[in-house]
Amino acid sequence: MTNPMVLKSHAAHAPARGTRAGWLAAGIAAALVVLVWPLVWSNDFALTLGILIAINLIGAVSLHLIVRTGHVSLAHAGFMGLGGYATALSLTRLHLVFPFDLLAGAAVPALVALVIGPLLLRLAGKYFVLVTFMVGEVIRLTFIQWSSLTGGANGLFGVTVPLPGLDSLLHFYYFALAFCVLCVGLVVRILTSELGRAIDSIREAQRVSECSGVPAIRMKVVMFVIASGLVGVAGGLQVYFLKYIDPSAFTIVQSLNFLIMNVIGGMDHLAGAVIGTVFIVVLPQALEQYVNIQQILFGLILVAVMVGMPGGLMDAVKRLRALSRRRSGEPQ
Amino acid sequence: MFSATLLGQVLVNGLSLSAIYVLVALGFTLLFGIMRVVNFSHGAFAMLGGYALFLLYGKWHLPYLLAVPLAALVVAALAMVLEYLVFRWFYQKMMQSMIGLLGLNMALVYSAVLLWDVYERSIPPAITTLLSVGGVLLPADRLTVVAIALVALGAFWFFMTRTRFGLAMRAASQDVETAEAQGMDTAALYRMAFFIAIFLTALAGGLYAQTYSLSPFMGDRPLIVAFVVVILGGMGSIPGAALGGVLLGFSESFLSTFYGSAVSSFASFGIVILLLIFRPWGLLGTKEAMRA
Repeated sequence: MTNPMVLKSHAAHAPARGTRAGWLAAGIAAALVVLVWPLVWSNDFALTLGILIAINLIGAVSLHLIVRTGHVSLAHAGFMGLGGYATALSLTRLHLVFPFDLLAGAAVPALVALVIGPLLLRLAGKYFVLVTFMVGEVIRLTFIQWSSLTGGANGLFGVTVPLPGLDSLLHFYYFALAFCVLCVGLVVRILTSELGRAIDSIREAQRVSECSGVPAIRMKVVMFVIASGLVGVAGGLQVYFLKYIDPSAFTIVQSLNFLIMNVIGGMDHLAGAVIGTVFIVVLPQALEQYVNIQQILFGLILVAVMVGMPGGLMDAVKRLRALSRRRSGEPQ
Repeated sequence: MFSATLLGQVLVNGLSLSAIYVLVALGFTLLFGIMRVVNFSHGAFAMLGGYALFLLYGKWHLPYLLAVPLAALVVAALAMVLEYLVFRWFYQKMMQSMIGLLGLNMALVYSAVLLWDVYERSIPPAITTLLSVGGVLLPADRLTVVAIALVALGAFWFFMTRTRFGLAMRAASQDVETAEAQGMDTAALYRMAFFIAIFLTALAGGLYAQTYSLSPFMGDRPLIVAFVVVILGGMGSIPGAALGGVLLGFSESFLSTFYGSAVSSFASFGIVILLLIFRPWGLLGTKEAMRA
């Protein structure tokens, strides 16, 4: 990365007034669409898809928080599982009522992250990837082996919906959407604040930002803890939705899915994670009519996107915009 | 508990596991060390090696010692098409290679499902006799696996240390730009390294499929093993991959025989995590590699 690139990416995070109004308009339009479509055209399949997007979006966006510090975690599905099991167990064993079981689901992964974070986050990028891969596997193995608590490979059944009325898909959609908006909102708030600029500076040049008084490791640990807590909420929501939990949902495959959601969309911008999530959740469904080659096509599309658009979909959009701007003669 | 027969079998199992693990990990570490590619489709190539051996030996009944190298050769030759279409775009791009090759893995695995369905098959063993060494019975097929792997490793070692191409490859893995500046054709070098890496992996996959079982999803285990071994030894380090493979093979054989496979998995992952935290460049890696 050369310096002009850094400056440009910072310019993108502090847009001029005109583009800010544009973002606002796009946000309001998106909010209206997301809120109103189920009332106009509601079917079970689309609602299920909407719920899955909401849950996965929390996972992808929380991973984005870690990615923005310059690290890639492959233990994210493991932390999601910790949240899911904590929610399920506090519901079935401790008989906690609604907000508290989900809070437990956020607290357990956050606590684990707080304990291991300071150790792991000292590592350079690629070693962090590897060690989180291992941590994810250990968490999954624990789910399988600790069968007196977790039900082993069969998982836990008998989870009930947290509030009356959530048996309806429509209601659950709004319930998940509310949490999704809360979590995404929290991440946006962090990224647009001074904290967000601090973690961007850590990613671009850790030594320099340390010299400017940013406590780099502590900052990374805070982000890691918040991200793990948020993905725990996603795990809890998934338990509510499926009404059971088993270890097979939290393998390395799911961790990689969260990562793919971030990379496909573009790693440097939160909108990338949103686009990526919709892409990854909807694409396999869209390919469903070719059911026996669905996975093959999905794999090939991943390859093609990574070969053709190494910066992700957001980057492709940005490049197209730059191209049209150059055509119309505006200065960049 | 520690009878001579049991110990002998643990030893032989450990040897054959180590041999397969070293082969798998060498391919993985070669791709990472030279091209900075994290090959998430590594397991898929091992799986293809398994099916190639199944066709050549199990179905067409070629002589075993011909079928084993031929199967690996066929897979490696076909993989060169994928090198041209997919891999060469990802050289020196770690993050993109991870995601893109994950996609390739999916495409390969599900193509195999389409071609050969999901059911597990088995490749008939080459020899079923038991050797008796000093009163200890040892399965001869495991020893064959070890012998084949040793020949392949010996050839690989000779190539890397005693030929000009091997020298060029070691140079490129240290510093690609300097190697290019010395006039090495890195594109050709990459192709050669890719061919060797896939050959070793497909060979290991064939032996693995014969020892355990063959299915389109059998590649997951070799992939994780490659990961663990390469971390253990040090990313990109060739002697490290050999040491890591032997350590993992023997500890797994020992721990899973005496304490069960769960303990064995926990122990190997736990040790690797601790190692990563306190010595992230691996047992035989160099500290300089941290900067890469």
